[in-house]
Amino acid sequence: MNTTRVKYLFISFFISLSVWAQNRTITGIILDKADNEPLIGASIAVMSPQGTVAYGTTTDLDGKFKIEVSPNNHNLVCRFIGYTAKTLHLKSDKNNYTIYMENAGKEMDELVVTGYQAIDRRKLTSAVTTVKITDEKIGSVRSIDQALAGQIAGLSSVSTSGSPSAPVKLRIRGISSINGTQDPLWVLDGIPLEGTDIPSMEELKDIDNIYQTSIAGINPTDIESITVLKDAAATAIYGARAANGVIVITTRNGKAGKPQINFSTKLTYSPKSDIDRLNLLNSQEKVGLELDLLQSNYTFRENKGDVARIISQYGLTDAYKNGGWNALSPEAQSDINHLRSINTDWNDILFRNVFNQEYNLSLSGGSDKANYYTAVGYYVEQGNVESVKNDRFNVTLKTNYRVNSKLKLGASVFANRRKQRSYLTNYDGFTNPVYYSRLANPYMRPYDDAGNYIYDVNIQHSKGDIAPDFNIFEERHNTSNINTTLSLMSIFDAELKLNDKFKITSQFGLQYDEGSIEKYSGEDSYTMRREKASAMYAYIDGTRSFLPAGGSNKITDSHSYQWTWKAMAEYQQRFKDKHELELMAGTEIRHADASTLYSAVYGYDRKSLTSSPVIFPSDNYARQFPLHTETHTENAFVSWFATGSYTLLHRYTLGGSIRFDGSDIFGVAKKYRYLPLYSVSGLWRVVDEPFMKNADFIDNLSIRASYGLQGNIDKNTSPYLVGTYQKVSILPNNSEDIIRPGSAPNPDLRWEKTQSVNVGADFAVFDNAISLSVDYYYRKGSDLIGLRMLPLETGYSSTTINWASMENEGVEFALTTRNINTKNFTWFTNLNFGFNRNKILKESVAENATYPGREGYPVGAIFAYKTAGLDEDGYPLFVTKDGQTVTATEFLKLNNAGASTLTAEEQRNLYTYIGTTDPKVSGGFTNTFKYKRVSLAINCIFNFGMHVKTAPSYSPTNYDRGLNTNHDILNRWTPDNTNTSLPKLMTSDERPGEYIRYSEFGLFNDLDIWVKKQNYFRFQSIRLGYELPEKWLRPIGVKNASVSLEGRNLWVIASNYDNYLDPETMGNPFAQPIPKSFIFGLNINF
Amino acid sequence: MKKIFLITINICLAVLLFTACDDFLDIQPTGKVIPKTGREFRALLTEAYSAFPSDRGKTVFRSDELVLDNATTTSEGLNSFLDLWRWMDDDVDENTSSFSWRSFYYVSYIANTIIEQGMSMTEATDSERSQLVGEAYMLRAYTHFVLVNLFGEPYTHCNPKQTKAIPLKLNSDVNAILKRNTVAEVYASILSDLEKGEQLLNVETWDVGYTYRFNKLSVDAFRARVYLYMGDWQNAYNYAHSVIEKHGALEDLTTSKTLPSHYKSVEAILSMEDIMPAIYQTEGKISPTLLSLYRSGDLRKSKYYRQVTASVSTLLKGGSNEYSCTFRSAEFYLTAAEAALELNDLDNAKLYLISLMEKRYHTSTIKRYKDEVNNMSQEELREKIYNERFCELAFEGHRWFDLRRTTQPELQKTYQGVTYILEKEDPRYTLRIPSEAIEANPGLAD
Repeated sequence: MNTTRVKYLFISFFISLSVWAQNRTITGIILDKADNEPLIGASIAVMSPQGTVAYGTTTDLDGKFKIEVSPNNHNLVCRFIGYTAKTLHLKSDKNNYTIYMENAGKEMDELVVTGYQAIDRRKLTSAVTTVKITDEKIGSVRSIDQALAGQIAGLSSVSTSGSPSAPVKLRIRGISSINGTQDPLWVLDGIPLEGTDIPSMEELKDIDNIYQTSIAGINPTDIESITVLKDAAATAIYGARAANGVIVITTRNGKAGKPQINFSTKLTYSPKSDIDRLNLLNSQEKVGLELDLLQSNYTFRENKGDVARIISQYGLTDAYKNGGWNALSPEAQSDINHLRSINTDWNDILFRNVFNQEYNLSLSGGSDKANYYTAVGYYVEQGNVESVKNDRFNVTLKTNYRVNSKLKLGASVFANRRKQRSYLTNYDGFTNPVYYSRLANPYMRPYDDAGNYIYDVNIQHSKGDIAPDFNIFEERHNTSNINTTLSLMSIFDAELKLNDKFKITSQFGLQYDEGSIEKYSGEDSYTMRREKASAMYAYIDGTRSFLPAGGSNKITDSHSYQWTWKAMAEYQQRFKDKHELELMAGTEIRHADASTLYSAVYGYDRKSLTSSPVIFPSDNYARQFPLHTETHTENAFVSWFATGSYTLLHRYTLGGSIRFDGSDIFGVAKKYRYLPLYSVSGLWRVVDEPFMKNADFIDNLSIRASYGLQGNIDKNTSPYLVGTYQKVSILPNNSEDIIRPGSAPNPDLRWEKTQSVNVGADFAVFDNAISLSVDYYYRKGSDLIGLRMLPLETGYSSTTINWASMENEGVEFALTTRNINTKNFTWFTNLNFGFNRNKILKESVAENATYPGREGYPVGAIFAYKTAGLDEDGYPLFVTKDGQTVTATEFLKLNNAGASTLTAEEQRNLYTYIGTTDPKVSGGFTNTFKYKRVSLAINCIFNFGMHVKTAPSYSPTNYDRGLNTNHDILNRWTPDNTNTSLPKLMTSDERPGEYIRYSEFGLFNDLDIWVKKQNYFRFQSIRLGYELPEKWLRPIGVKNASVSLEGRNLWVIASNYDNYLDPETMGNPFAQPIPKSFIFGLNINF
Repeated sequence: MKKIFLITINICLAVLLFTACDDFLDIQPTGKVIPKTGREFRALLTEAYSAFPSDRGKTVFRSDELVLDNATTTSEGLNSFLDLWRWMDDDVDENTSSFSWRSFYYVSYIANTIIEQGMSMTEATDSERSQLVGEAYMLRAYTHFVLVNLFGEPYTHCNPKQTKAIPLKLNSDVNAILKRNTVAEVYASILSDLEKGEQLLNVETWDVGYTYRFNKLSVDAFRARVYLYMGDWQNAYNYAHSVIEKHGALEDLTTSKTLPSHYKSVEAILSMEDIMPAIYQTEGKISPTLLSLYRSGDLRKSKYYRQVTASVSTLLKGGSNEYSCTFRSAEFYLTAAEAALELNDLDNAKLYLISLMEKRYHTSTIKRYKDEVNNMSQEELREKIYNERFCELAFEGHRWFDLRRTTQPELQKTYQGVTYILEKEDPRYTLRIPSEAIEANPGLAD
């Protein structure tokens, strides 16, 4: 009441003044400093001498204003949302002003968006990194998960495959849990995304089941910044799902001002990769090998390979075995020599060079009251493998309204449609073109002279030559695998600011994904032939397939739907400019529904879209070929959370958060439903201490520390036997319910808990020319949940137990330097890297395990048998722990059936630790140079200290001579080639125990020679940009424009990866190689 | 005031939410269940029955019932069964079908769960409860019985008290690591389970469609087979006799169109195992040696097999669960005959054999064969009973076990000109424990 009266008094005082003092009229224009565009709706306030707002006005459509000012007033304050406020000192002789306001982008940086709150960086107690997404920084990426490689200390990224749709595996601060997902939680504008977990990607099935996470649907162009929450203090608010870290995406908003139109395009050329690195045998070598083997006593699949086939056609097999080449007839010799002359370059005909395109158009703008951002994007990427293609169409609509001084509302819609086309590999691995290119014989031709398909009879793992026909090109033409995804995400938010202390916010998010995977195989395809062969039935008139003639079409439709609603109340209070208190409490409810519908038709004809009914001979067959299946899952989550922080004297901050996570867990007592998670943290801003007053060159120096507890429970394991209902008919015409037990019950299962400590320091000097962040973290997981192999006599092969405790320890550095900063030339360097050391502290090793426990070793430990070359018969020699060199039989005490007579423990002790699959150091190194209008960005990533267990080049017992392989086989031990480390091809009669150990127990895979070092430094992106001069652009109405040229994956420096295409995909022969690409980019702003 | 009002509203909302949340979180996952009621335990046991492996049928690839060649065997079939068939256990192809191990113990696991928890099940009568638990005992015994005969040396050819066979799994503890038990221990456990089963089972006969479930009669039938395999002739005779007393009906092939192993045949006692599923039934051709044992007038030859060409005959009984068969009457006539013979009771032996033969041979020939049998010496009659057993029970999962427990003769097979020999009393008459089982429990190698 009092203040209002005072205001009245003042105003009347001014009015009265104006009566006798000459008022003057100030006019002016407010422009954006960045682009000289007028700012519409900016406010201009006349300040009273006491510093309060007296009255004011706003700018018009041209950014102009006009205001009456009394002579006593010397200051005008200009404000515009998103811009730094500016005070204008009025000069007595000047009545017209041009005011430039600066975008407060920098100031916005001072707020860290966690998804729940925007925290003032000056009060940030946790380990959080924010990356602004710009072309210079990330280059041309197809999806946002790719963009993060090398950007953030402590975040490692590994590409699963070079195929257009392959997701990227991201790990934040190592691996915290073995069970379940290790993928971070993704959050889009505050709403956690569903469907972001990546399958293990170790199996062919995972690689070829074209798979995309919901992240792939987000257009990187729409993203403003990404914040990665790393320590428990930051992630505890997200609850149990955040144990692997959180990645928060903040999308672009419209900015108040004149409408902005942005158009950008990227045109990419990507040549096919060169498979010379694989060192495959050429025809000459392969024919020579087959001839050698046929004469040797290695009889595994002796009839395979074209050489054996030709010799056997002429009935000369025995003659050749005894008499060699000269015993062959001239016709046979000439046929074999003809094979040598064919050299099919499978790489050349299976892969292609591709040209890809991406277009984005956005429209944004706004005023003080509202802003909008509207964008459309289209992107298409073709794979280097023929007919592999991925496209995406995006629409983004975002609007924010300031209804009044108290209420703000926002609504956004992110919609996209994606379509991926890939090949079909329903059956054997060789139908995968990448894998096939490595196995197919160089003397094989895909077509005969008349252009008909030649079927490959060598490729298949079968005894006879009577397996279904296979030709890779026929397969590609007559099968297809298409995944179409439609995805819609909508977010509504409201903020009610009751006063400057109390605020209520609420957010509602809806995510809807609809996918359809269509797998077609035509009648003339291996897939279909193979399927029919597995559906044979002995009818009265003979054995034939009960599947009708024609192809098949199998469609899996999936729907997933989730909604999240959260509401929070925030309260902040300052006392005497000494104490600052911030409190927030809220609740979150989430509900997720997912269903799939699978339908298969046979006798399918693609032209008429018709199919034929299947007449099953019996119920059992009908179950083997399901025509219709459905699944449905539903989950619900309820959480409560609260955070608080208290700051003293602007420099000591103490924070804390707590969250209770509740979810539907079936078969578990209700008291286990809610899981408490909490964290405490603190910050000391040393730079603000009085004793630092004189150290002006220091811009920032602060120390952070946090501790938190996170937990997780395995939802799939219950103390009880939990089964699912199914139907069977044990005897004909009598269908009954059965309950099929799920995983083995474990009444002893406890929660897994992770405790984390983070200590960090931020340091910046010389006007931020050098800024450095260092973080040390220690995470200890106890009672970790994991799978344990069970003796099969339990009826199960594995169960879930609390198997271990594990620690992760690491240091992260993020260093940004402004090396040179002159008017025309700037050079910035950004180096970040993280060291991670992971150790298993305790592991319950099953009594029956023959592979060693990892206690004292990293979780990704690779153990192998130490070998020492070969013995005089060409068998590998093993080194015992006491340094003796012995044969496999002596080493493992093998009996004649290949079983070891040692106890499990003795067998475990035979292994030696070689290394870990996780990088010891990983990071990124980025340099950006700018000279006048030209910019150059070089973005590199590196991973050091990893090991990978590769598949052996050949098996000494099961090498199939019908398949191609690399040069290692030529260097195997033979009586004439004894100076080698690669063993001979063995026969079962010589050392039966060892033979069975190699052929059935996979001994060869356990030798140390297959464990390879994996270190690499990749030039991920080199980008040259040029900003076109404005004088060229003005006449055509363009505000600014830039062009760029970028090369991606041009070089990689790595430890030896002979016989492999790329150090990153070394362990996986099915993965498409990561392609090199060249990109032309154009960006225009109107 | 306004602030307090808002806070109150918020608190009220929160309290409301808290109480509403339990309901919100009470989601019954589609199709998931923790068995508690009688009906649910029955469904669980039905899963055990349906999961029972067809491995007794798979032994046809090991015995002398079948011939594999490129003409009558698919490439899948060759991949899966050729190495099994030619007894190539050392140099075995990676795609070769192996005998089940875990699947048997999975059945045991369910049986053990029901034995442990079944008595506390709700919504069931006492008799339903004890019937279910009784069936679980029977199923566990039968699982151990098939396992010990696949992977353990035959009782009659080893020192049962010394020779280790398979681990007995008698509880549902998934954390236990087991060692192999001796043959004698396994048989003792089977007999003890049978005793418990006998006390608990109370269903005399099941309706059509449910005859895969153990009934009271199956206890003695099972015992007769166990004692036969142990060479305990007196007990084998007594229980076979007891089965025939109660359920002696035979399918008369001179008039009946139903095959004796059909689940609706009058002979059926227990129709649990789908012995010859189509993946087995369609492979290979009937061994000529077996075909030659069917003498003129033997009606089984044309009922069991279809002659496709002069040299190729394929199997008719099988390829569908209609031919699920575990115990049927005819077996016990043959068991009684064999046991009587070994007890030197030739008259009874002949009587039982002829009773069966009368239903199997054409009326015009039966007199001649009867006279032949009646004039046989003990040795001749033993040979005759063995052959008749082979002919009667071929492709029903008996032959391999009969070869093992009796003479373990030398067998020969030829594939693409190469001859493979299973020596007399060859150790390969006992299967190796699968390597994946040894990998999971190295103690099994001992």
